[in-house]
Amino acid sequence: MKRETLAALRADLAAKRAAVLATDLRTGEARLLHPFEEAPGAHTALLGAAREAARDDQSRLWEGPGGRVFLRVYNPPVRLVIVGAVHIAQSLAPMARLAGLDVLVVDPRRSFATEERFQGVTLTHEWPDEALARIGLDRRSAVVTMTHDPKIDDPALATALRSDAFYVGALGSKKTQAARRERLQQQGLDQAALARIHGPVGLPIGAVSTAEIAVSILAQVISGLRGGSAAR
Amino acid sequence: MSAEDLYHEALVRLARAARGAGRLEGAAGAATLDNPLCGDRASFQVRLAGDRIEALAHQVRGCVLCEASASFLGGAAPGWTGAEVEAARGALEALLAGGGPAVVGPFGGLSVFAPVRAAPSRHGCVLLPFDALRAALAEAKG
Repeated sequence: MKRETLAALRADLAAKRAAVLATDLRTGEARLLHPFEEAPGAHTALLGAAREAARDDQSRLWEGPGGRVFLRVYNPPVRLVIVGAVHIAQSLAPMARLAGLDVLVVDPRRSFATEERFQGVTLTHEWPDEALARIGLDRRSAVVTMTHDPKIDDPALATALRSDAFYVGALGSKKTQAARRERLQQQGLDQAALARIHGPVGLPIGAVSTAEIAVSILAQVISGLRGGSAAR
Repeated sequence: MSAEDLYHEALVRLARAARGAGRLEGAAGAATLDNPLCGDRASFQVRLAGDRIEALAHQVRGCVLCEASASFLGGAAPGWTGAEVEAARGALEALLAGGGPAVVGPFGGLSVFAPVRAAPSRHGCVLLPFDALRAALAEAKG
């Protein structure tokens, strides 16, 4: 790999920009591709293969028209933002971390978001829309709201729905969800955006305890990430 | 008491007016306070002329009660001394506690918060902007 390619790759990693290093196994030439960005004049077949590999989050050998190419995927870490330092979040945060996600718990209510309740978890007391704007949501971000307080959940959802986040979930009953959709609609979000909200949140596995509900949410997030059949 | 009683029209209107919302350049004092239980946050900046508030600005993240309270101060407090801020806060506390005299005179606008009396858990929402202004004034006076 050339020095400038390595420098570009490092810059992409720092900027949390998805990249695929395509190495021609015959010539050894390595090219850096950005699978989710428009690249006029690029080899569309190669870019398509790179996109597929990045989406699957799996490096692979690809047989192209010009020979064999190794596609090495450099995806930014998958991030789960949990809005609401509530009881379920206390289960969901460590579970998600075990599953390999980069977890952030956001709650301006300092009495909930304490180190004691969330040991080893990154916490912030910012308001969720401020925190989400600061970290920047992308296609490898998931957001789930849990406070049951519209003044905190709504701005988080509005920000998430205006981003590329692959998963947006909201804790709350069907009745709560209907009222929420109405409020968000008044904020200018259309039906297509609102349809992205998973709510009631979590896969229907009959979860009862808070830990079980956390499992159902985590499973739904992973399904959304991997394009599983339970994605919707 | 229903949400409709608490968030009555005049109070919602006061909150929406958001008087004093924004940022103040060249502030002599600034303070941010939050309520750790509900997450409400109020930031106030003040500029003084002598012992009077010449100008103030605030940024509030919170419920309608908190917004309305900050808006009240944004409209009423410019021109006040620190003592008048304390007097207004005292009148508000008496109003929330009930049994106090009806709010009249310069602080008459506070009566918009009368329904909050019946919701003790929400008193902090109304007082938070007053406390943030008080803290900003304390900083301005050094």
